[in-house]
Amino acid sequence: MTRRNHRISATLLLLLLSPISLVAQTALQRVRQTGELRVGTDATYPPFETAEGGQFTGFDIDLANAVARELGVRAAFTNSGFDGIFPALQNGTFDIVISAVTITPERSATMLFSDPYINAGQLIAIHKETGGIEKPEDLKGKHIGVQINTTAQFDFEKREGVEVTKYDSVALALTDLRNKRIDAVVSDAPVLRYMILQSFQDLKPVGRQFTDEKLGIVLARDSDELRRAVNAALWRVKDSGEYDRIHQKWFGEAAEQAAGSSATQPKAFDLSIVQRTWRFFLTGIWLTARLAFLSLLLGLPIGLLLALARVQSSRILSAPAAVYVEVIRGTPLLVQILFIYFVLPSFGIFIPAFWSGVLALTLNSAAYIAEIFRAGILSIDAGQMEAARALGMTHAQAMRRIILPQTFRRVVPPLTNEAIALLKDSSLVYVIGLSELTRTGQELASRYAAPLTIWPMVAIFYLLLTFPLTRIAEYLERRWRPITRS
Amino acid sequence: MLRRTKSYPSLGLEDRFIIFEVKVYRERRRVIEVTDIVKRYGSNTVLNHATFQINEGQLTTILGPSGCGKTTMLRCMNRLEKFDRGRLKIGGVEVLGTEDRRLTAAEEKELTRQLRSRVGIIFQNFNLFPHLTALDNCTESPMTVKGMQRAKAEEVARQYLQKVGLGGKEDHYPAQLSGGQQQRVAIARALAMEPEVILFDEPTSALDPQLIQSVARMLRALDDLGKTLVVVSHDMNFARRISDQVIYFEGGHAVESGTVEELFSNPQKPETRAFMQSFHDDEPAVIDEESATDKAESGKLETDLGTRGQLGQEE
Repeated sequence: MTRRNHRISATLLLLLLSPISLVAQTALQRVRQTGELRVGTDATYPPFETAEGGQFTGFDIDLANAVARELGVRAAFTNSGFDGIFPALQNGTFDIVISAVTITPERSATMLFSDPYINAGQLIAIHKETGGIEKPEDLKGKHIGVQINTTAQFDFEKREGVEVTKYDSVALALTDLRNKRIDAVVSDAPVLRYMILQSFQDLKPVGRQFTDEKLGIVLARDSDELRRAVNAALWRVKDSGEYDRIHQKWFGEAAEQAAGSSATQPKAFDLSIVQRTWRFFLTGIWLTARLAFLSLLLGLPIGLLLALARVQSSRILSAPAAVYVEVIRGTPLLVQILFIYFVLPSFGIFIPAFWSGVLALTLNSAAYIAEIFRAGILSIDAGQMEAARALGMTHAQAMRRIILPQTFRRVVPPLTNEAIALLKDSSLVYVIGLSELTRTGQELASRYAAPLTIWPMVAIFYLLLTFPLTRIAEYLERRWRPITRS
Repeated sequence: MLRRTKSYPSLGLEDRFIIFEVKVYRERRRVIEVTDIVKRYGSNTVLNHATFQINEGQLTTILGPSGCGKTTMLRCMNRLEKFDRGRLKIGGVEVLGTEDRRLTAAEEKELTRQLRSRVGIIFQNFNLFPHLTALDNCTESPMTVKGMQRAKAEEVARQYLQKVGLGGKEDHYPAQLSGGQQQRVAIARALAMEPEVILFDEPTSALDPQLIQSVARMLRALDDLGKTLVVVSHDMNFARRISDQVIYFEGGHAVESGTVEELFSNPQKPETRAFMQSFHDDEPAVIDEESATDKAESGKLETDLGTRGQLGQEE
């Protein structure tokens, strides 16, 4: 089973981070000394790992707890987007990553793996009303759905005559299979079984697991000592029967029956899920609101200064501002976030996740805000500046007293746009482990296997967050109406 | 009205730059001297050795067809435009062409400041500040430029708004005022800075024809305040009605200059004659009487906007 493995994190960041060695103390010494094993996991993958209101559950979670117990320490979990999880391991944020990670040669080249702890191969699922598909060969000429960047995708893209559509999550692929847009879904057996039992009873798994995929605990390259200790702990967990108990709990008959009996016929929008989950959104909403508010607050003055620099006649100021805007607008926000959080530490600059997010969003939005202000300034009739100058004002006085007050009135609508875009773009900070609104939705959608309930909730929460912004904009426009009336 | 009814002998050529004969009044000092000014935009020569003088307290109209460079000339007087060669003297401030003398940024700033503290301008489209009320339009620059206290600035602004007949409109925004009212706010705004010279760029072009008469009265009333007024216009009727002195501008230079009577009744240059001829073709002789009446009455005329008495208070 290969989880999403973001192109950017894999190539860019590992390349950038590889020459860095930060740890003087060995990882094992540190773990022993602090009594804490820091575990990174992307908790959107039941039954391996899910999170709900800060509580982690799943097969991997139980196993990591058991391993930590054997090491005589406590496991401390951090929820991190899969894109950022390996860079965080490399720069020492985590001691280990347990997140249903398949052992692959590529990953083994840059990181260490424990001994395999489970074999989870690929499985095919089809609609109950259809048939004729039992093994990979039967999929020739068919249209299948896979989760993006998984081994299923890599496998079937190589096969002749199979049309592959890639989805962001297994749940979405299964939803499309239910709607019969596709003929089958290929994914990791344990996850597929779990999802079908939870909320896709009109689908069924067919045939046998047709690949071997060994999952391992991941460690940073320089922590061989810790790896040996983790391996020893894993074997003790297996020998003591603890492993079987955990396996039975999550993958055994009992688990299937429990899941099957508790699951009801899936609804498009399930109010009982809304009732059970809305509370878990509050932290995410609050985080999103703070991120967007602070970034906007800081981005506005920076954007204004950039715009003023750009409308100067002197190239000394305008050229750097133009380059800044060009570079920031021309590069993805995701890369900027990853850069600030994962690459700056290699220059000795450590910024906590939240403030890394604020910084990235601020610098990014400032570039867009600068262009809004610049357009606003340029839209003011040249006669205004002339009149102000003719009355004896300096350029700076004319700007401050005459041009900018008029600019502010004009840029309210485009700034509102930018503020709303910023609010929604803030979801990208999930890559540095911040569980904001979208990420919370992702976690809960997986946990409850209810994308059709959770995502509309996420949408409504965003709508509620944008509401105050649009109200403020309306208020400002109403207040300034007499001036623009003609 | 003394200066219009008595005539004074010509003093002839002042120096070799002065090409045309100009009437100089003994008791008045020259406040504006334009000497051989040249300005080019690339290969296009906009001002071509322009030379003329304007005396203190006079109302001078620079008259000429579109594209003759008269507006550029006006903008040079306020440093909204720079010129390449020649010399401009306004009050005690002397400006040389950029090719004659290169100024440092600080010198340029100081020169501009001095010039603009003496010279106000009323733009063709007034360029009022739309986000400020009529009152705030008038208080803004006294406060930011002169550092005047708000209370004092408002007092001054109210006086001038009152004088231009806009008492009661202080809290109106420009968009809530008519074109004529906007122009009067622009005049009050310029007056609030208490300049010696006020420039008007085409004061009649943005207004309805029926307002032209009241603009004429307004200008005469300002003239009576002792301000030196320079009006740029292509409207001969208007120029004739309001001016003490008329400068005929064509091809980027002053072709001829003189009193209204001299220029309109007895133009010396063929260009001026041609321009006057087109005027006479369009508008028959009635104008003469009308303008004479206007001038004669302007001293005692009560305009609908403000009386001479109000405007005369400053004197």
